[in-house]
Formats: sequence, structure tokens, C-alpha cells
Amino acid sequence: MEVEQTSMRSDTNSTSEYLDAEGDPDAIEPETSLYQEADFEQEAEQQNHSIISELRDGLDATRDTSALSPEPGQHTKGLAASAESLALSTSTSAKTEDSISGLEEEYDYQHDSLWRGQKKHIFILSEAGKPIFSLHGNEDKLATLFGVIQALVSFVQLGQDAITSIHAAGIKFAFMQRSSLILVAATRSNMSVQQLQLQLGDVYNQILSILTYSHMTKIFEKRKNFDLRRLLSGSERLFYNLLANDSSSAKVSNNIFTFLTNSILVFPLATAIRSQITSAIQSNCSKIKNLVFAVLIANNKLIALVRMKKYSIHPADLRMIFNLVECSESFKSSENWSPICLPKFDMNGYLHAHVSYLANDCQACLLLLSVDRDAFFTLAEAKAKITEKLRKNHCLEAINEELKQPFNAKLYQQVVGIPELRHFLYKPKSTAQLLCPTLRHPYKSLVELERLEAIYCDLLHRIHNGSRPLKLIYEVKEREVVLAWATGTYELYAVFEPVVDKATVIKYVDKLIKWIEKEYDVYFIRNHATF
Amino acid sequence: MSGRKKSLLKVIILGDSSVGKTSLMNQYVNKRFSNQYKATIGADFCTKEVVVNDRVVTMQIWDTAGQERFQSLGVAFYRGADCCVLVYDVTAPNSFKNLDSWRDEFLIQASPRDPEHFPFVVLGNKVDLDNRQVSTRRAQQWCQSKNDIPYYETSAKEGINVEMAFQVIAKNALELEAEAEVINDFPDQITLGSQNNRPGNPDNCQC
Repeated sequence: MEVEQTSMRSDTNSTSEYLDAEGDPDAIEPETSLYQEADFEQEAEQQNHSIISELRDGLDATRDTSALSPEPGQHTKGLAASAESLALSTSTSAKTEDSISGLEEEYDYQHDSLWRGQKKHIFILSEAGKPIFSLHGNEDKLATLFGVIQALVSFVQLGQDAITSIHAAGIKFAFMQRSSLILVAATRSNMSVQQLQLQLGDVYNQILSILTYSHMTKIFEKRKNFDLRRLLSGSERLFYNLLANDSSSAKVSNNIFTFLTNSILVFPLATAIRSQITSAIQSNCSKIKNLVFAVLIANNKLIALVRMKKYSIHPADLRMIFNLVECSESFKSSENWSPICLPKFDMNGYLHAHVSYLANDCQACLLLLSVDRDAFFTLAEAKAKITEKLRKNHCLEAINEELKQPFNAKLYQQVVGIPELRHFLYKPKSTAQLLCPTLRHPYKSLVELERLEAIYCDLLHRIHNGSRPLKLIYEVKEREVVLAWATGTYELYAVFEPVVDKATVIKYVDKLIKWIEKEYDVYFIRNHATF
Repeated sequence: MSGRKKSLLKVIILGDSSVGKTSLMNQYVNKRFSNQYKATIGADFCTKEVVVNDRVVTMQIWDTAGQERFQSLGVAFYRGADCCVLVYDVTAPNSFKNLDSWRDEFLIQASPRDPEHFPFVVLGNKVDLDNRQVSTRRAQQWCQSKNDIPYYETSAKEGINVEMAFQVIAKNALELEAEAEVINDFPDQITLGSQNNRPGNPDNCQC
């Protein structure tokens, strides 16, 4: 009977009064919750947090201050507090003390400091709120969190709006909705919301690359409750590899910079060698109908690209190809025939790729991409001829030589006279290619790389800021001097030793630019040949 | 994306306010009951793993607000549900009468592919109380008239039938999932020069 009575009273209460009641006696103030995890853990087990109530509390609390939205013009005002409820309201995830025997032990990630402490999280879910992917942790066990994400997205959607980001407790959450999917990135790093969305865009492209847009949309049209994991299982490695591109993966690698600048790296080769390679591909492929692209890559860098007239390749599509090759060991052992969708080229269909390494003694991977699904033998034959030709004119040797000797050893040697130049990114305006020397001291360590990453994220963000783009940034930081310079023909980001003064930096930049102009054709491909 | 054998089911709990939706979920997931009433605003979420026919199934339980003024997320919540649990209070005849409209509301909002065979389960809650007003027969009749919806009488307070009811919920939802084959019509072959890959695509910033 007590239940009945309280319920009637609550029915007659106004919303705000009710909310007060909700906050008492055991509810947690959103503002303090994150810092009281020890207490919170106990309490959390005893109560259900309602995401929307937290959200409303948040809205009420921030209505007057309205200072919580650091990015003006975005409709996220007041939602900051809800980020904390993200952590809060998922606490009801079951702790099956009663768990049925035979089940692996239930694990509660939300109370795991390792999981919570990850620098970056990526979540993919269906519009229905069903988990598809989580970068860290078993997504099934995070089902509650996925429900909360769906609730947040829907809540804002209801007001004919779209949630872009949440900023709270030093964490940025970026949201992206594409067809039937919701993608979320959360990070403690210096990446801007736009940069996070670029990353989410890559993740979305990866899904399309596996399924195609038309196939995926058809499935969700027919069954909104479809568990997309059924179609993506076996492809997990592609997502992990794609996302392991920054220091959050605890790997020291350069990949983050191509992604941040929406570009690719070119395999440095003497002009004569590269044109020999290109013409070997051209001459053996020009008569093949329906061949759209021939792509030769080594060590995640582009050696040559030959294309069908009128068609070009988007850097985001090339990144899908790089990613596929990088995490498919099996390509090394045999010829492969693999469907791949390049979303920027055509998101509704598969290209059919003949994928193979040039030779056992030359680890460059050739992809011949055709719209014709029966072209395997024609392409296999063409590939054999290409390899033969490249062997004959010593191009395989040239590639191997470059593979043996990391190109930035050479690069730094040649940029002699600038020992104070620690690292730089150079991207011509005319192509989506990036010159980026591999990392050297002091950025070989993870901690230092993180700092470098943060510096570049910040510079790129300010140069490409939609509302107030900058052309030139010069900053003397505690541990380095940094420069960003966007001209009509290129963008340059450079990091110097902290002792260098401005005049010297200008002199060095001048020298560097001159050197790049001179060596341009070794490090960049001006025009991609056609068949 | 791990493991083909794993399944996740989205389960929605609907019913009038204070019939015990949240309590049922709490009893099922946490084996706890509280006499204190707190209305749900929007929704709560719970997760529980169960084993059905040797398969590990994760139940993602969406506990909704019974009070109309807190149902701000109707469509969004119902979308893509695998099973819907309708709850009424055996001591409150109105909550039983409203099952019809809850069911209709769900079918309209969620618009499942095969509404006739969508897995519902009806739970008559609070059987531990003395002042019962809705008879078992009446409830069973209603369930039969709606394409034989499984019916259970539960007490979230005493934990009566709760475990079993949810086991049936998982089983029924899973059967429906098994019927749905992966749609295997492969996308059309790309036609060069078609709308989809027009060379002039302004998005094609070149490498």
C-alpha cells in the first residue's frame, strides 16, 4: 500500500518538485560525482540513475551560468553536465552475483580505472542503441552505456537539433550520425571536435568499405533491430588498426599526421624510377577494360597510382586501402581477389581488387581495382607482366633500397644545416600528400610524442578553424618553438629546438622550403598517370 | 564485434506508472527490492547476461517512464526493440485496461516488420498484495486474444516468477532473431559514369 500512496503523491507533484525529491536522499550531485568514485560505487549499486533526470538537473544547473559550452555556436549548451551522467547512469549494469554457472565472469568496465583512464574511446552503435563496436572493452558488457548514448542523441534530436559534442571533466565527446549509425569519440587528448569527427568519418568509411552504403541501409530498413556485428565479425582488426593511429594506442608512429591532415604519404623515389614504374603499369594495363585504379604501395606509402581517365582517388579512400593492406598478412603469401568499397568513389558498390605483393623479394603491394567481378585472371596476368618488367629495369631493387634505408635518414642528412629542426609537416595545397619525416629524438618516446601530437592538433585546429582561420602562427613554448604557416601553395608546420630565435626560424623555414621545392618530385607525385 | 555466437537483445518494459517496471528490472538484475517509489524520468538502462539454448545472450533492458509527462523519448526508445514487456498491477484494474493502448502505442511507434508476431510478454505484477482486482483468467483471456502473448504473474518484491519471465522473454526474442537471415543480396555492380561515381563529384579532392 505504501507504494500506491507515494505514487499518488508523486503524480500530483510538479516536475521541479519531483526532481528535488529525486535528488534526495541518495542521488548524487552531478558536479561532484566524478570525484567521489569510491563512495559512488557503493551508492550506485543501490539505485537506478535516470539519464534524463541527470540531464535535466544539468540543464537547470547550467541555465544561468551557460559557460560550459566552450565552442560557441554549437547547441550543446548545458549538456556538459550530462557527460557525467554518462558515467553515472550506466552504473546499473548488472553485477550478477547470481550469474548462471558457465558464464564468463561479468565485468564492470565503468568501475575499472584502466578502462576509464583510456585516452581515447570510440563507440559505434545502431540507431536502436545496439552496440556494434567499442575500441576498449567488450561492447556487450557496455550495452548500458550504448543505451545512454542513444538516449542523449535522441533527446537532442527530439528538439530538431543534433548533438555535436559534450565537454566535461577534461574529456571531449564528439558525436556523428550517419544513416542508421551513431558514432561517438571520447578523448582526453588535444584533438578538436572537428578532428575527432574526421576520425569518426574514417571509422564510418571503414564500415561502408566492408558493407557498402546500399547494403547497410537496406538491412536497417528491413530490420531496425539488426545486430550489425553479424556482418562485421572477422573485420575487427581493420577497426583496431585504423584507430591505433595516435599515441593513445601506445605505439610510436607517424600515421596520426596523415589522418589529421587528411592526406597520404608518398614513397620517396627518384623521378626516373617512379616514371619507369608508372609506365610499366600503364603499358600492361591500358588494354584492360573496366580497370579503374592501379595502386602500388610499400610501407604504408604510395609508390604509384594509375587511374582511369576522369576518375581520381580521394585520400580517405586511399587510407582504407592502406589500412586493409597493413593489417592483412595473408596478402603476403598469395594472390587475392577481394571486394572493397571505396566510399568516396562509389559508396553503393564494390570494386574488385586483385591484391598481391610484387615478389617475394620485393615487399611492395599492388592493387588492381576493377568494376568487373570476373577480371581476376586478366589482372593476375597483368600483374605478372608488371613485376617482370620492373625486375628487368631494376625498379624492384630501387624500391628495396628505399625500404632498407628509412627515408628520413636521408631526408635529415640532406636538410643539413638545420639540426635545430626537430620535425615538420609539409602539405602542398594542390594534392592531399604529406611530407612528414619519421620521428627522431626527442619524439621517440611515447610521452614526448603525445606532446608533439598535441602541438600539431592545436596548430592544425587553429589554421583550419572554420570561423577564424589563421595564416601564420609562431609560438615559443617551454620545450620547443613552433611555427604554422599556410600560404596559397602549401601548409607548413614545424617544430624547432627551444633555443632558436625568430630570425633564425625564418631563415631555416626559407631554407627548408627551398629544399622541398628542389626535391619536390622525389617526395610528391604531381599528377597521377592515366591508363 | 566479438564472437558470432553472442547476441544482444533490446528489451523494452512498458506499462502504467507505479505498476513496478523498475522494481521488476531491479529484482531481475540486482536481486533487490525497495518499497520506496521513485518515478522514472525518461528511461533507465540495465544489462544482464543470460544463457539460452547454450548461447550467451546480453539483455539490454530499457526501463521506460510510465508517467506520460516523462515519456519524452517515445519513438527513439521503441526503435529496433527485440521484445516488449507489458506490465500491469494486479491490484489496479486501470493499469490492466491500459495494456491495450500500451501495446498499440508500441506497435505504432516501433512499427516492427511483423506486428502480428512481434514478441510481447505480459506480466501481472504485485501478486504478493492481498487486494487483488484483476483475475488470472481475465488476464489470460486478453493475452490469448492478442495472438497468445505469454502471461506471467510476478512479484518484484518477493522475486516470484521474475527470473523465469525474463528467461522466456529472452527465448522468444531470440527465436525471432534466428528466423531473420542475413540479407544476402549483394550490391549491384558498379556502373562507371553513373550517378554514384560521377567523375565531377566535387567531393573528390584528389590525392
